[in-house]
Amino acid sequence: MMITNKFNFMKTLYLLFSILGMMGVVKADETKAREVLVALISSSSKSEEARYVEDLTELGDPIIANVVASWRVGEISYSKSQDKVYIVSGFETYEDLLTGAVISPAGDRAIDRPSRKLRKKLSRIVDFLDLKSPDLEKRMAASRKFGSSQKPEFIEVLREFEAKQDDPEVAAAFRESIAMSLLENGTRDERIQSVKLLGDTYVFAARDNIAKILKDASSGETVDEELVSSCKSALISIDGRQDLLDIVGTLFRGLSTGSVLLLVSYGLAITFGQMGVINMAHGEFIALGGYSVYLVQNYVLKHFGESSVMYEWYFVIALPIAFGVTALAGCLLEKGLIQFLYKRPLESLLATWAVSMIMQQALRLYFGAANVSVSSPEWLSGSYDFGGVMMSYNRIALIVFAIFVVIVTSLLLSKTNWGLHVRATMQNRQMASSLGVPSSRVNMLTFAFGSGLAGLAGAFIAQIGNVGPSMGQTYIVDSFMVVVVGGVGNLMGTAISSLGIGLVDQGLQPLLGPVMGKISVLFGIILFLQFRPGGIFPARSRSLDD
Amino acid sequence: MSHKPLYKDTDLVLSIESVMKSFDGFRAINDLNFYLGEGELRTIIGPNGAGKSTFMDLITGRTRPDEGSLIYHQDDGHDMDLTKLREYEINRLGISRKFQAPSVYQQHTVYDNIVLSLNKDRSVLKSLFYRVSADDREFIDEILGTIRLKGMINNLAGSLSHGQKQWLEIGMLLAQQPRILLVDEPAAGMSDEETERTGELLLSLEGKHSIIVVEHDMEFIRQIARKVTVLHQGHVIKEGKFLEVANDPTVKEVYLGRQKHE
Amino acid sequence: MNRNSLFDSKAELGLVWSLLAFVLVLPILNMVAPEGSFLHVSSFQLSVWGKYLCYAVLAVSLNFLWGYTGLLCLGQCLFFALGGYAFGMYLMLMIGDLGGYKSSLPDFMIFLGYSELPMYWKPFYSPYFALFAAMWVPGLVAFLFGLLAFRSRIKGVYFSILTQALTYAAALLFFRNDFTFGGNNGFTDFKFIFGQEFYDPSVARGLFWGSGALLLGVYVLLAWLLKSKFGLVQRAIRDSENRVRFSGYSTTHYKVFIFVLSAMIAGLAGALYVPQAGIINPSEMWPTKGLDIVVWVAVGGRGSKFGPIIGAILINLLKSYTTREYPESWLLILGFVFLFVVLFMPNGVVGLWDQLKERFSKKRSASDPGDEILKSN
Repeated sequence: MMITNKFNFMKTLYLLFSILGMMGVVKADETKAREVLVALISSSSKSEEARYVEDLTELGDPIIANVVASWRVGEISYSKSQDKVYIVSGFETYEDLLTGAVISPAGDRAIDRPSRKLRKKLSRIVDFLDLKSPDLEKRMAASRKFGSSQKPEFIEVLREFEAKQDDPEVAAAFRESIAMSLLENGTRDERIQSVKLLGDTYVFAARDNIAKILKDASSGETVDEELVSSCKSALISIDGRQDLLDIVGTLFRGLSTGSVLLLVSYGLAITFGQMGVINMAHGEFIALGGYSVYLVQNYVLKHFGESSVMYEWYFVIALPIAFGVTALAGCLLEKGLIQFLYKRPLESLLATWAVSMIMQQALRLYFGAANVSVSSPEWLSGSYDFGGVMMSYNRIALIVFAIFVVIVTSLLLSKTNWGLHVRATMQNRQMASSLGVPSSRVNMLTFAFGSGLAGLAGAFIAQIGNVGPSMGQTYIVDSFMVVVVGGVGNLMGTAISSLGIGLVDQGLQPLLGPVMGKISVLFGIILFLQFRPGGIFPARSRSLDD
Repeated sequence: MSHKPLYKDTDLVLSIESVMKSFDGFRAINDLNFYLGEGELRTIIGPNGAGKSTFMDLITGRTRPDEGSLIYHQDDGHDMDLTKLREYEINRLGISRKFQAPSVYQQHTVYDNIVLSLNKDRSVLKSLFYRVSADDREFIDEILGTIRLKGMINNLAGSLSHGQKQWLEIGMLLAQQPRILLVDEPAAGMSDEETERTGELLLSLEGKHSIIVVEHDMEFIRQIARKVTVLHQGHVIKEGKFLEVANDPTVKEVYLGRQKHE
Repeated sequence: MNRNSLFDSKAELGLVWSLLAFVLVLPILNMVAPEGSFLHVSSFQLSVWGKYLCYAVLAVSLNFLWGYTGLLCLGQCLFFALGGYAFGMYLMLMIGDLGGYKSSLPDFMIFLGYSELPMYWKPFYSPYFALFAAMWVPGLVAFLFGLLAFRSRIKGVYFSILTQALTYAAALLFFRNDFTFGGNNGFTDFKFIFGQEFYDPSVARGLFWGSGALLLGVYVLLAWLLKSKFGLVQRAIRDSENRVRFSGYSTTHYKVFIFVLSAMIAGLAGALYVPQAGIINPSEMWPTKGLDIVVWVAVGGRGSKFGPIIGAILINLLKSYTTREYPESWLLILGFVFLFVVLFMPNGVVGLWDQLKERFSKKRSASDPGDEILKSN
């Protein structure tokens, strides 16, 4: 699922750039480029190919990148009889590469792919293209690629381009790349300067090269003190930065894991913590939320198409629907079953386990046993580069949403009439109902709200993981742990414990690996509860036989 | 754990000194000092929230004091620090407690309820191979006679009336042959006749056991009272004979003052 | 029935005798009745029934904890699987050099690059040590966990949730290849047991008898325990733990003892189960398995001595029938059956008779004392 996503994403990107290219570059260049490309693809002699490649290098039109990419994945075909080159432009639609017009291809067309050697050359051309790309990110990436190849012949090219850069960040990237190359190819002074520059700008890619220089420089007969000391300080600077980034990265991942935990357990904190109901079907409610998103996605895709605005925003539409569907399911469960089992927590555990089995199997029968794919809208794909730490947008959205859920829930509980009723009922069911609180209504709404939160959690998990009939099972043990650690009945405790567990989990993973990390967290929680059986914020009850 | 007796020449069984206990900032017990003599029958009264239940909890190890000492003076002259012991260890020393709501084993027969309470070795292994001996049987019969449940030996405790359950629990306490009996509101929910008989029962135990009774029912207190201790806001405000206490202006204020607000 | 008898009623005694007869006769039919005859029991069928007997032992062990002490353990499958793994280790070593790599080491170890058997595997060449370990490894885990949990007074649903987390964590651990217990695939492809060819009919018979003997032995042991003062204390803890504690009993000691005993019984059941199932892998300790056992006990009747046996066998028969005839709907059926039992048959199948009798007599006598809601834990 992820791969296809990425691929679609790349395709869209190319499309975008070719459009940009059309606007930015004189149209004649594109026509010329098309001609040369057609000639290159249809040619069969090696010498001709070499010439065309040279032509392309000089032309440098963005369409080249587009076509080369299509060529490599087998989207280019050639018909000998028509002497036409086709390029795939959509689902079962083809364009004439020469004119760009949509045509139906000839029967004898065969898929054409570049040879290995040619592919290498072409990718070099594309890289050169990227050096001129209007997209700054792409331009910097290309310069780095040339820098890290450390081939002396590129130094001049890079210097030439560097002088032309207006953007200081891009210019710096070019200077870095030049320095990278000079590490290998420069004079002694150039190398020292480069080491300093790379150290000061924390270029991680240069770390190994600098370490090698340091090793060589200090093992020779005459030790070059200046080179050695500059290497040492550059390494310290780079490593320090790396550690910092590791910490920031761990914090971010911890925060995001914590947010997942918070979303999956917040609903439980309400149904279990506030109402004392052990809802083993909570995991299936999460799955229900995931499937709601899936259905909304399919509906939008069917009725509006992939490139519609609706599709772009389908996830936003899906959220309230996921909430509504699971809240309704929760409502039914409370009315049909749980309301008879208050004060009998073990019975409610068993009965909801039965419901969990039934729901799981029903989902499996209806949607199939395999996971279904839910794609992220464009604005949730990709990541934000935070000084070298990649933060994916959907994880950022997840964190923001978790905070949103915490705030909204606490506002609902503290400011609304319903919240007052909930708190009263949870403290003393009988007293509340004799004071006129409609306790059965309050119970139903509270349970529905908690279930709805599970649905929202499922909706978000659909963006970062799989949606399948047994997806809830993955989260049920975790969410119970979170609630118990936080202190049953304390929402703030749940929030703190989910963040804490998320951070510890992500902090341990680099040391122990994902599975051992999780196992350690589970054993850690079990041990923690031995010493604080009531969790972080134990609920104090005044009743005698607790 | 045992140290030099503090009150070698006296016949105290329990010394509680300077005890403090707070729950979430609420001071349930505040500088409490209390002494209980051998064979004494003591009544404790106090308005709701005076800390009577917490007081019992502290003695039986259900909660631990924040400060202060609770010393149990054993038969053999050794002292035990109750703050360091668990509930079952305190019970094995000879301190038994009757709860406010009758706490019997509902699914067990009356007979089994008493058997479970006998002052025998209560470790896991001993209980596996324990057999009721003829002596035990006799003792059980005697207790059942005292609590007037002889005819219901095979009834489930859950099927007894409220008053009978209260008595059964007292019987269970007697089976433990304790030195100190803590009795929390024994008359609650009893008919007048039952209440009176309960009073007689407690009076008959005086001298054989040291007894602390917590009670609300003034008639009942008048019947059994020897020395009365008044608790208010976790502190002993008055101790003395029933009439002395009943006529004390501070005590009156504590009770009447509350009544004004209610 | 008199007070000193191990069994509570004539009906119970009858059930025990029938079980004994069943255990004795089935292997004899396998041995004597010719193939194709109406009475013939194949070795495969014998193994299936042997597995059911092991499940019954497992259910009995959970009932001892849950039904009689009020401790709902959702991780009973862990002890069963640990016992299974312990005996499985012996069976793996008995494969000798007949494995895929023709080495004296189990295949997965070769795969991991081991050249020598790890120290802790060596004693498992002895089947008696393996059986011993099948009891004591689960017992030790239960001891450590129970001691910690009961000392800090974790009980009720908290205990249940924690035991579930325990078995979940253990399953994750066993799924790892480098944990040297076969990872995902676990142990399988056994060749020999007690010097016999693994698929020899005499092995199936022996294992079946062993399982039957275990079930009856455990039944009698637990019946005796329940009759003793220990049993009184145990049920008293279930109904009113505070009263027990304030009567001079260390409920922690009792609960740890019960938990350990129950884990050891489950471990032995697992040890006998593995050779009859021919495989053990970490899915046996997945949290859903723990809940399955709870279902057997609840359906059969918790807090009754024979109920769990009936429940385990009934549900597994139903499972084997439904998964064969209607594979898709098995979980739906199980879910609805279980839901019905939880809601309307609190005492399970064995309680049904009493329940109906009570219903009937209630309808007759109008003056019905308000029935007390008995708390379930």
